[in-house]
Amino acid sequence: MKKVIVVGAGLVGCFCARALSKYDIDITVLESNGDVCTGISKAGSGIVYVGYDSMPGTLKSRLCIDSCKDFAELCEILDVRYKKCGSLMVSYGKRADERLSKKLDHGRIGGIAGLRMIDREEATAMEPYLNPNISTALFSEETGTVNPWELCIAAYECAANNGVEFKFNESVCGIVREDEGFKVETNKDSYSADIVVNCAGIDSDKVRELCEKPQIRIVPTAADYLITDNSLSGYVNHIIFHEPEEKSKGLTIVPTVDGNLLIGATERQASAISTATAESGIGILKNLCSEIMPELPLNKIIRSYGCMRPNPYYVDEEGRLLEEKKSISELMLLEDNGLFSFIGVKTPGMTMAPELGRYLTEKVLGVLGDIRERSDFKPYRQGITRFKDLSDEERTSFVMKHPDYGKIICRCEQVSEGEIREAIRRGARTVEAVKRRTSAGMGRCQGSYCRQQIIKMLEEADERI
Amino acid sequence: MKEYKLLVIGAGAAGVTAAVAAARAGADRICLVDRDSCIGGVLNQCKHSGFGVGYYGEEMSGTEYAKRLDDMLTQAIDGGADIELRLGTMVTKITENRHAFLASQGCYEEVAFEKCLLASGCRETTLQSLCVAGTRPEGIYTAGEAQKMLNIYSRDVGDDIVILGTGDIGQIMARHYLDEGKNVIAMIEKSDAAGGMERNRRNIIEKYDIPVVLRSTIVEVFGDSHITAVKVRNLDSGEENIIECSTLITAMGLIPERDILDWDEKKQLPDWLTMCGNCDYVHDIVDSVSLQAERLGVTLAK
Repeated sequence: MKKVIVVGAGLVGCFCARALSKYDIDITVLESNGDVCTGISKAGSGIVYVGYDSMPGTLKSRLCIDSCKDFAELCEILDVRYKKCGSLMVSYGKRADERLSKKLDHGRIGGIAGLRMIDREEATAMEPYLNPNISTALFSEETGTVNPWELCIAAYECAANNGVEFKFNESVCGIVREDEGFKVETNKDSYSADIVVNCAGIDSDKVRELCEKPQIRIVPTAADYLITDNSLSGYVNHIIFHEPEEKSKGLTIVPTVDGNLLIGATERQASAISTATAESGIGILKNLCSEIMPELPLNKIIRSYGCMRPNPYYVDEEGRLLEEKKSISELMLLEDNGLFSFIGVKTPGMTMAPELGRYLTEKVLGVLGDIRERSDFKPYRQGITRFKDLSDEERTSFVMKHPDYGKIICRCEQVSEGEIREAIRRGARTVEAVKRRTSAGMGRCQGSYCRQQIIKMLEEADERI
Repeated sequence: MKEYKLLVIGAGAAGVTAAVAAARAGADRICLVDRDSCIGGVLNQCKHSGFGVGYYGEEMSGTEYAKRLDDMLTQAIDGGADIELRLGTMVTKITENRHAFLASQGCYEEVAFEKCLLASGCRETTLQSLCVAGTRPEGIYTAGEAQKMLNIYSRDVGDDIVILGTGDIGQIMARHYLDEGKNVIAMIEKSDAAGGMERNRRNIIEKYDIPVVLRSTIVEVFGDSHITAVKVRNLDSGEENIIECSTLITAMGLIPERDILDWDEKKQLPDWLTMCGNCDYVHDIVDSVSLQAERLGVTLAK
């Protein structure tokens, strides 16, 4: 059987693995961290974009538009919470007005449904807490949101369920071309492969250069986000994109599937690969909030976080940046004779991820030739039942059947012992991994109430193994 | 559906004392609920002394105070008080038509009540809510969590400790760590004097000579997987210092826990709902909680 190695278990890696697993191929995913979705994927805005931001006709635009159309169905299949809340891009002046109408044009050319310009009156009726001095607003009915961890974990569980092998804590340190295919070396082992798919995110340029000459390199920038308490659920109904008058980053507010508001994102120089937040960035966000949503109670913020953005630039064979100073906006999938590298996938990376998997699979099949499609591929995946999301009637019968689901461990997010046990059964080995799978510890007390109890449950699970 | 006359949420000093007082004053069909597996609430993690003088007339530890509550409740129930104690049970919701939803192992139940006493205590302010810049490593605990680690779970927090805030719990934790031979590098305080009760300042900060950095706060956290240092800034001069540490404990104050209430804080509470103990306002000592609860319990029985 032909063998494919996928490097990196972020959103792109997991969706590539899932798409490849529809075919009769032996697939192994190598991830340098202890869990999926730990790099760039873990800290995005969680927005499912409709695709009017990219130039019409480009690959990026096409993949984003196609992916968005299928997102509701995909989330149904993967049992991922998806909220088609729509979005409102707001302008407060002339320059931004022009940008909005350009985006509307992009949308029309791309055939995007549910897009229209609305006036101040309609916009403030939709979002009463917005600064009312709106000039124009671009309403998009089809924009949605998911939790990126949940989506990535779902793709991972689905791929694993279809026979993909995931190796955690294995970082790739060598890729050697052999007569037929590759030898991939990690800190622990070595693997032969016919095809290598490089989805290593912020390190994707370095991974490619393990066996190729430099062509594109990533210059990372950093971003900061704030998250509010879920008691503000309903304060904002649509995703708000604020298009600024000046040439700077505007504000984005996302009413998440968990009921929190996610407020982002700055863009600043990154001195090192780090997800640290910056005081300046947090200050900028707070200032923008008081400008765009003046009454938003900033004392409801429960945490901040930072993340990296991988900006791809063309370089020469020595790795020196080429003349043009602008980062590449087009999607970069480099093909080097059996080595496929996604380099610098950023916004709308999460939206595109499912389509990227499909697109990559076509390319791989093109190289491998005649590969049979599996008849036993299981597209579905069942998530962990969430006590919080059940109706009172459902809770009554579910708790009767599964007693542990009546015992609440995380008070803020109302996560039960049953959910935590199920997350551990599915492989969560750290408090962080439990949090991503169940939301335990994500609330206003940030785990100070439940963390010790979860550690105890993890210790008990370790003893059983 | 079960119908109660009085639903008491939280079986700490406030809830237990109020339930017993209400029963003694003639109330029946009282339901006393707590999510923990025993009564006493936060008292169970307070092994230090300093409790009870104001209410019982003698000094004891928090756990001993909890034992008194337990005895009082048992005695009352044995003596015929109509109190149904439901431990390991969390009230997930109360509705305006006076129904409550109770979740426990194997059971999710809707009950009706006439009056409700909210005695759910406090939460702690977290470092995360301040949006302090930097990384988000392990090794950062609220004082309450640190106390739980020490007295309930027997887990070590690390040796070189910085404490943000000089409230009572922070000071009590500092004393404990110093007695254990750990290094309390500094307590950081934003106001111009240390907080907490006078007796704690005298017996802890002064007696142990703990360095208190006044008019200062933490503005950045360092460390990838585990905390390695914090940046402290003077609020007046803006001068910054980096302090290396292995542990950061935050003792920045308590917030009444009223998560169960959907009502806007500005709106008036419905007449069937009363708040008691630290969930009403933050009391300095538990004895005053007991006194308030006793009074309210009698009122609620009417």
